[in-house]
Amino acid sequence: MINQQVDTKQKSWLKVMTMGMWNDHPIFCMVLGICSALAITNRMDNAIAMGAGVTFCLVFSSFFISLFRNVIPARVRMLAYMVTIATFVICTDRFLKAYFPPISAAMGPYVGLIITNCILMGRAEAFASKSNPWLSVLDAFGCGIGYSFILILMALIREPMGFGTILGQRIMPQFWTNWVILTIAPGAFFLLGVYLWILRTLARKTE
Amino acid sequence: MNTTNPLIIFLASIFTHNIALVYILGMCPFIVISRNYKSAVGMGAAVIFVVTLTAMINWPIYWLLLVPLHSEILSFLIFIIVIAATVQFLEMVIERFFPPLQSSFGIFLPLITVNCIVLAVSLFMVLRNYSFIQTVAYSAGTAIGWALAIILMASIKEKLSLIGDIPSGLRGPGITMIIAGIMALAFMGFAGIITL
Amino acid sequence: MKSALKILIFCIAMGTCSGALLVGINTLTATRIDRHEELKLKTAVLDVLLIPYTEDNALDIFKANVETMNKGNMMIYKGKDQAVAFEFKGPGVWGAISGIISLNPDQKTIRNLKILHQEETPGLGGRIAESDYLKQFKNKDAVPRLVFTPPGKARANNEIDTITGATYSSKALEKLLNTTIKDAVGLL
Repeated sequence: MINQQVDTKQKSWLKVMTMGMWNDHPIFCMVLGICSALAITNRMDNAIAMGAGVTFCLVFSSFFISLFRNVIPARVRMLAYMVTIATFVICTDRFLKAYFPPISAAMGPYVGLIITNCILMGRAEAFASKSNPWLSVLDAFGCGIGYSFILILMALIREPMGFGTILGQRIMPQFWTNWVILTIAPGAFFLLGVYLWILRTLARKTE
Repeated sequence: MNTTNPLIIFLASIFTHNIALVYILGMCPFIVISRNYKSAVGMGAAVIFVVTLTAMINWPIYWLLLVPLHSEILSFLIFIIVIAATVQFLEMVIERFFPPLQSSFGIFLPLITVNCIVLAVSLFMVLRNYSFIQTVAYSAGTAIGWALAIILMASIKEKLSLIGDIPSGLRGPGITMIIAGIMALAFMGFAGIITL
Repeated sequence: MKSALKILIFCIAMGTCSGALLVGINTLTATRIDRHEELKLKTAVLDVLLIPYTEDNALDIFKANVETMNKGNMMIYKGKDQAVAFEFKGPGVWGAISGIISLNPDQKTIRNLKILHQEETPGLGGRIAESDYLKQFKNKDAVPRLVFTPPGKARANNEIDTITGATYSSKALEKLLNTTIKDAVGLL
């Protein structure tokens, strides 16, 4: 899907926010953020934590990039986005480590994954660098929510069938043998492929 | 320092610890670029070059500059800047001195800056305490492994488009995911051949 | 040329700002983070040496009951009953694995094991930090080496089960533990 120049004057703020949830969905339309969608969706609590983390970082990094959008020279914009995102995420991580150690311990493995998550770069390039801070924040929030939704949808299948639990509570009957393949990489690929199939077919039907 | 044999590290990072199919990193370009064989080869070659070069630059910067100054917190930042600068420099060199390479190699360079594996390789080399030789083996092996995965994917998709009738919803990212899943399963067969 | 200069100035400015922010936050939070880490380390040592404590008096109990020795480049913590504990730290699959392990006074069998930091795949490799997994280490023979077997196949007293679906994380832990225990026992 080609990203069109956003005409911000005509878009209402609600439309901007909801675009990231379906029409311009990061995973289904722009194929971004796949790495983490596959790696950490094997459990529901990880999916929720990652979704929250990405939404938070996406909102703030889009805000900062949008603030500085007129100062960044065109040739080095990718570098500028990466530096802004990395600095923000690392500072947040240090802050959490110092003042909220339990949250930091829970989010530890995800920090690196969030920094390199293509969604932050992709939204910065496609939207935040061209729009004012308020709309950028809305778009970022919408994309973050859309992304979290998919993570949860993946975990909804992977955790029960792969571990037999949801959020740690056993829900599958005793005779269920865990489909371990769903907890590791190949299973994630297959599941995401099926989801993409279903959702892209639905989207084409509604277009 | 890590005492693993560099050759073992090299082979392991291509097969048993393949960064695309075992670690699932570098997925975004993996899905988009693997449309045809020629661009996959070009991208793969560019990645091999950039990843090895940046790892070789980042190693001395980390161990000879950041560690003595106790500035490890800056490693992410410094690595990103080095990667962007290296890619920019390579772009200029190819434009000026090797114009024929521009179309097969040069156009992929800007995409590599945001490829997660370039940063991941530098971070892993620090984490695993690799020596310089081990870093060269690791970065070259990782990049070759990624290039291998993307070339395999492109070849399979080209063949598939000749003989198969893929449902419309599955075309593009959908079928790529499923092929990647089968490839990841296949690569799991390598596990245990090499012990890292 | 003017645009190139502009780009250069921008890059330098951006680099300096970000660097300053990072170093600034680092120094501001350093003491708090070090305190947390120290508390975490000392409570873990008390845990593996099986010395009881409460949240408030942990540091005092540590000072009273644990002897800290600096041997070579390793810190050895000795309890009053001659059990020893030491830290292990090394690369896992995604990040560093670090923890504390204690040996019984015979310096051969493991008393207890606790993971302080790990960044393995949550739900798979991440289970090395779970107490359910770690309790199988109790009283196992650590000398000459631990052997990690396929899940469910551990029989001998130096064998440990790997985690299903987390072979590499388990192997990393095996290598890490064996090297550290060998070094520590050599220094004792």
